[in-house]
Amino acid sequence: MLNYVWLGLVIIGILTAVGTDIYDAATNKYRNGDQIEVQYNGPANGKGIVSISKDYFEHFYGTKIESPDTFHLTALRDSDRLSITINDQSPSIWKTIAKAAGNENLLQASVTGQTNQNLFLLLPTTSLVKTRAVIDSVISYSSTAVTIAIGLIGVMAFWLGIMKLAEDSGLVQIIARTLKPVMTILFPEIPPDHPAIGAMIMNIAANMLGLNNAATPLGLKAMDELNKLNKHKGTASNAMIVFLAINTAGLTIIPATAIAVRAALGSREPTIILMTSFFGAGLATIAGVLSAKLLQRLKAYQLKEEEDTAK
Amino acid sequence: MIKDILELISILAIPAIVIMFVAYAARKKVPVYESFIQGAKGGFDVAVKIIPYLVAMLVGIGIFRASGAMDIFVSLISPLAKLIGMPPEALPMAFLRPLSGSGSLGLMSEIMKKYGPDSFTGILVSTMYGSSETTFYVIAVYFGAIGVTKTRHAVAAGLIADAVGMLGALFICKILFG
Repeated sequence: MLNYVWLGLVIIGILTAVGTDIYDAATNKYRNGDQIEVQYNGPANGKGIVSISKDYFEHFYGTKIESPDTFHLTALRDSDRLSITINDQSPSIWKTIAKAAGNENLLQASVTGQTNQNLFLLLPTTSLVKTRAVIDSVISYSSTAVTIAIGLIGVMAFWLGIMKLAEDSGLVQIIARTLKPVMTILFPEIPPDHPAIGAMIMNIAANMLGLNNAATPLGLKAMDELNKLNKHKGTASNAMIVFLAINTAGLTIIPATAIAVRAALGSREPTIILMTSFFGAGLATIAGVLSAKLLQRLKAYQLKEEEDTAK
Repeated sequence: MIKDILELISILAIPAIVIMFVAYAARKKVPVYESFIQGAKGGFDVAVKIIPYLVAMLVGIGIFRASGAMDIFVSLISPLAKLIGMPPEALPMAFLRPLSGSGSLGLMSEIMKKYGPDSFTGILVSTMYGSSETTFYVIAVYFGAIGVTKTRHAVAAGLIADAVGMLGALFICKILFG
């Protein structure tokens, strides 16, 4: 299934980007080559204010924008060059044009004419916006992947070291036995005092406490142990999928990130989501485990050896 | 109050685990330093093994997001979402959450900035963020570490869990705050 998902993401993504760019070029979305008329208060060389009426702007680009009736932007004029400062409130179409031209905070326009207070501006020619964005994202996400993986090395080594201590001392088996009744239902294929069970319990506990730095290394350790029992290397086992379903549901007592963002944005009750997200993630966990258990019975998802024993 | 207690637990948990594990191993006469090193050796290999899986996954999702396909998809599905009472501005969150952790974090902050963290939409998107994990990231990393490429029904089970988590978040927020 991952093959199709990945293929879908890549193909749909690229086709949408190219298609959007062709459509934008055909409809001249960015009004390449057209002069826009703006009011300018300021010297011919120096800082001034650019004012544009919302109606005119919407008519010019043929699109709706969110702004007051007239919006103002600061600008720096150097005779026939005008650099308009782009901020969060600027129309998104201008943000796009500025970004495509190389500087997302500064829109470089050339002044082609002047009447009293009004200037006629020619904005930079803009094309292939989405295709460029796709190329940029390929490069930046590739290096993000490496950054994430490299960042894992240290914590990974630490938790693997701690887990090795727990294995050699027999502590993992003791932890595994604590939740034996639950774990044998969830993972019937795994012997109840196998180190995989201990590692999985620790991973789930770390997730519940919101200890993300510890949860991933412990989870990977659990996957490694599960793989030792896996007869089909390179193929996911039933136990792995149930374990992953629990992990992707992300059950946590403390959704620390969401609470932190709420507090930072001045919420009166940042922790109000403790109970609601526990409810949501709890349902997700139940649904994930149940669907993993049900889907593993489908013929399409059965492993060869299981098909043989089923006969 | 609850938050303080929970925070204290999560801060104390790691030192408590470390001291318990090291002390127990020492009592069982395990050579702690040697044993720790033996285990820690694997850290580098695991991290490096993940790289190709993570590159494939993040690039695929990156292309999809940058192309604007996501926005088109969301606007197509928006009338359906209105039927179940999902505010249209919260809908992108439901689709972004399983795909991108940093992306959905950014989106959550953006939406809460716009509508306020204590508005219904604000509470809903932060609940949605807390109700799920980044499924595709977990799948790439966990299966990557052990070289599994045939994932069978893992994606399906993960996405069903996400869908139920998102609907559950909407349901509980509607009941309590709607």
